[in-house]
Amino acid sequence: MAILPVPLARVSTLLQGSVATSAIARVQEQLLQTENQISTGKRVNTPSDDPGASSVILQLNQTLSARQAFATNLQAANSQLSETDSALSGVSDALLQAQNLASANVSSTVNPDQRAAAADQVKTLENQLLSLGNTSINGFYIFGGSRSTTPPFVSSSAGIQFVGASNILTNTVDENSSLPLTVNGDQVFGATSARVTGTVNLNPVLTATTRLSDLGGFANDGVHVGSIVVSNNGTSAVIDLQHADAVGDVISAINSAGVPGVTANITGSGIAINGSGGNLQIGEAGGGSAAADLGILGTSVGGSVGGANVHARVTPFTTLASLRGGLGIDPAGLQITNGLQSATITVGPGSTVEDLLNAINGSKTGVLARINASGTGIDIVNPTQGTDLTIAENGGTTAADLGVRSFHPASALADLNNGNGVHTVAGGDFTVTRKDGSVFTVSLAAANTVQDVINSINAADGGAGVTASFATTGNGIVLTDGTGGGGTLSVSAINASTAAADLGLNTVAVGNTLTGRDANPVAANSIFSHLQQLEKALRTSDPNGITSAAGGLQDDYKRVTAIRGQAGAQIKEISGRQSSMLDENVATQSLLSQLQDTDLTSAISQFQQLQTALQASLATASKVLHLSLLDFLN
Amino acid sequence: MSLVSALNLGSSALAAQQAAIQVTGNNIANASNPDFTRQTAQFSASPDHQIGPGLFVGTGVTLDGVTRQIDEALSARLRSSHSDAAAASTNADWLSRVETTFNALSGQDLGSQLNSFFNDWSTLANNPQDEGQRQVVLQDGQSLANQFNHVSTQLGQLLTDGNSQLQSLVQNADSLSTDIARLNVQIAASSTSSGSNNGLADQRDADLKQLSQLINIQTIPQENGTVNVYAGSDPLILAGQSQGLTTKQLTINNQLVTSVVLKSDGGTIPVTSGRIGALINVQGQIQDTGKKLDTLAGGFIFELNKVHSGGQGIKGYQNLTATNAVSDPTLALNDLNTGLKASATNGSFVVHVTSSVTGLSNSTLVPVNLSGQGTQTSLNSLVASLNGVGGISASIVGGKLQLKTTNNLQTVSFSQDSSGVLASLGLNTFFTGSTAADIGINQQLVGQPALLAASANGDAGDNTTAKAIAALQKNAVPSLGGVSVTDHYQSIITGIASATASAKTNATATQSVTDTLESQKQALSGVSIEEETVHLLQQQHAFQAAAKLVSTVNDLLNKLMNIL
Repeated sequence: MAILPVPLARVSTLLQGSVATSAIARVQEQLLQTENQISTGKRVNTPSDDPGASSVILQLNQTLSARQAFATNLQAANSQLSETDSALSGVSDALLQAQNLASANVSSTVNPDQRAAAADQVKTLENQLLSLGNTSINGFYIFGGSRSTTPPFVSSSAGIQFVGASNILTNTVDENSSLPLTVNGDQVFGATSARVTGTVNLNPVLTATTRLSDLGGFANDGVHVGSIVVSNNGTSAVIDLQHADAVGDVISAINSAGVPGVTANITGSGIAINGSGGNLQIGEAGGGSAAADLGILGTSVGGSVGGANVHARVTPFTTLASLRGGLGIDPAGLQITNGLQSATITVGPGSTVEDLLNAINGSKTGVLARINASGTGIDIVNPTQGTDLTIAENGGTTAADLGVRSFHPASALADLNNGNGVHTVAGGDFTVTRKDGSVFTVSLAAANTVQDVINSINAADGGAGVTASFATTGNGIVLTDGTGGGGTLSVSAINASTAAADLGLNTVAVGNTLTGRDANPVAANSIFSHLQQLEKALRTSDPNGITSAAGGLQDDYKRVTAIRGQAGAQIKEISGRQSSMLDENVATQSLLSQLQDTDLTSAISQFQQLQTALQASLATASKVLHLSLLDFLN
Repeated sequence: MSLVSALNLGSSALAAQQAAIQVTGNNIANASNPDFTRQTAQFSASPDHQIGPGLFVGTGVTLDGVTRQIDEALSARLRSSHSDAAAASTNADWLSRVETTFNALSGQDLGSQLNSFFNDWSTLANNPQDEGQRQVVLQDGQSLANQFNHVSTQLGQLLTDGNSQLQSLVQNADSLSTDIARLNVQIAASSTSSGSNNGLADQRDADLKQLSQLINIQTIPQENGTVNVYAGSDPLILAGQSQGLTTKQLTINNQLVTSVVLKSDGGTIPVTSGRIGALINVQGQIQDTGKKLDTLAGGFIFELNKVHSGGQGIKGYQNLTATNAVSDPTLALNDLNTGLKASATNGSFVVHVTSSVTGLSNSTLVPVNLSGQGTQTSLNSLVASLNGVGGISASIVGGKLQLKTTNNLQTVSFSQDSSGVLASLGLNTFFTGSTAADIGINQQLVGQPALLAASANGDAGDNTTAKAIAALQKNAVPSLGGVSVTDHYQSIITGIASATASAKTNATATQSVTDTLESQKQALSGVSIEEETVHLLQQQHAFQAAAKLVSTVNDLLNKLMNIL
């Protein structure tokens, strides 16, 4: 609105007209805006209508859109977990049926034919569980973890093998939280064995290309790169390690920092800095922990700083030669036997950990070798259902070096035979008959480990010609007869002790040597292996076997029920989140509406006011412009 | 005193009233001409005649002049206010067009498409092997790229339109200056000390008003009736000479800068207001917005590619070609002269060669040394390292890295890229390009959604990379000044919105000032028909009285003649 000067001396005809037209134009423009607000229902149609509000509107729209994705994810998690829940309920039912079959057929009144019929039923249940294990929705195998694209359980000549991943997929369902989409299929079915977990910390030595992200750091909680201060005899430099990726980068950064007399180098498992006899100080800069993490924090007068183990992790690229603090791995190789499959694994010089893992995983023995989660060793597990796995030496120390020998002199007797242990009796467990016909008795009452057994045998022999030792090729206790007699070396149980069989010594000697079995094979403690055990026990009419299998199935049932409980709790949490998200959406929508939408009451009353104003302007203009002196002349 | 002299007196009165009626008539005729200035006739009594000692009688009336009723100081203020009002409305007009280009709040804008693109990745994480959802991600990625291209093209079009309008406005200003100079000459020739040509003066004022709407000018009236016009401190029109106006365009910091220069000596004149000044300012704003959009696109592309290139698809590649070429393969990969838009840093990445028969992979760590110490990694040395990896062969074709597996049963994939070199070279990337104008989908993915990287551990059903990409929406991006992609987009929109809103307010305010000054000018210079009608009546009566005087004297003379 133009401000008219108050003492307007004259009013020209043109001014009258332009004042009237501009007043009408202004009211019409406001009317159009109000009409637009009413017809679109929005007060803010373009951001410039209200820049402050529109910045909030954009933010709220973004929040709503993100929630839409979260809602989709919750829905997906809900349907996947519900499907999982019903599959788990199927698994529970099948397990209950199997247990019922076991208890119905364990009694001595049941004849072998009836047991054989029950065995057929168990076989059916096994197939049913196999298909439950391979449940998929839209091509997504719910028990496969991150290998959800293919069935996690495959049936092959080696048996049923678990090829899924033992992890859980999660997805984001809120700004900062994730929920699982799946359960761990491995855990549900007990599909992989717990052994063999590498018992040796492989402790690889550092190389220039060892990535800082592969270091556990001095305190084993990672390396947090930042800046460090290196000073020698008063000259200091701040070294930025922000972009250092590997140990070599750290070494060259320190060596080229221009601090006189300072040299950094790798010392086995750590980094050491030498001050050439000066007053050397290494500290943190900028409040980081890089120096401490790299194990080089400290001061030294005349010596060097650092060299502490920074816990390099085992990675696929780690060379076998750098393991065990640089001692390396014996190249003789491993013998792996799994069920009916066996393979000898040898890896050439210069091989990496990945080469070794590939050689094992590609050996068609149905075993799975992997680097353990903490990066300190190698695990070899048996994902094949119902088969026994043994990992033995191939004439060297490879398995021992890697800590993966399934049966070795240090094995505790109590752990042998799938935890059934070695049953000894008082007064002697077995006798050994030498080739010359002489006999000696061995008592294992005081033995705790396999080595104790070997020592007991050697002590009982008393240097009379039989030597017990642990096999250097394969796994087992080996008895060697040096008497040169014409008889047969043999081991016989006495006092109804099962110790000789439990130790795998119930084998037949060949020539001068009696080689025992691996008494500690690795098997998956799974639903499938228990069912196979039950089926076998029913077919062979073995009540003890039926009872033992039923016990395993009982444990499986408890485990599945527990996991089903977890899945149920997750589904409940999802529903809770879904409903609270709906509430949040309503709140956000109403805030958005307050900012963006037209307040119709006020807009319509404004529209009416403007209409009145327009009418008034038009009426005034027509009256004023109509007046003319000429009308009054004549 | 004789009767004859009385007759003369009557005739002078008749002539004067006739002239006055003509002035009034002219005023009435121009009553609706906004550039017209009301004129008034100035009379004075003719010198007295002595008819005896101490006795004087009047001899009638003389027309002294016809003058324009104008306040030159007010006109000057009005011109500067015209400059400001024209500038403000041009600003508001063009900024609204920039705002419309983004179409924010519509639900179909770039922001909404960014949101749905990130949502697609989050949904893909629910079922990473879902081919349908992979296709959705690709399609939404394509339409997001198209939207970036579209906004960028629109901004470019606005710039072109603005530029051509600017050229024609400067031509317009140039011809107005020529006109004013010509009018100056005509006015100087026709004016005398007692008066000047009012019509020409009105024409010149109209031209000056038009010129002031184009550029900010100062006028200095001269004694001889001419007006000198200055733009800033530079004389644009001196008397009958116009210096002429034209434009000069320079590219400074990749930005097109237009300046208005004098034709005569090429000197730049400071244009701060008027439509031309506003257009120059708007050109800068459009280019700034374009740059911010390019920064957004560049940061978004690189960050997403960095995550994507370290991920794996359902299957690996048998051959792949980098999308970005390197001008000189001997240069370190973080050298700006390589022509790579996003530069890699010191780090490493892992190459996996996977057998499709056994499913087993061989992994090789490839260090990328850009630490500034030792031999820096160049494209040549990278190719050499990759050729050292069993099962693949690397080469450079047209400056682009090309990788092939040496065996049909093997595929290659990447992981754990801490250097960003894969994204920088464009290997296993999602987007190509580096600006809003050239962003596109990596053509290798089109039709092969299985190559889309959702996994981080090589398992086809893993969703770690998909989740990481979805999380990018909220992550701070260093190249965007530490804000997230979404926040950066919102700050562009809010920036334009505030500029547009304040330009609109400014346009209303300056228009109001102009209206006020215009009404003041009208109060003095405008024609009022009522007033002129009154003048006409007065003049009619005066004419009639003068005619009566002549006829009365005539009667008296006749009486005297009859005596003879």
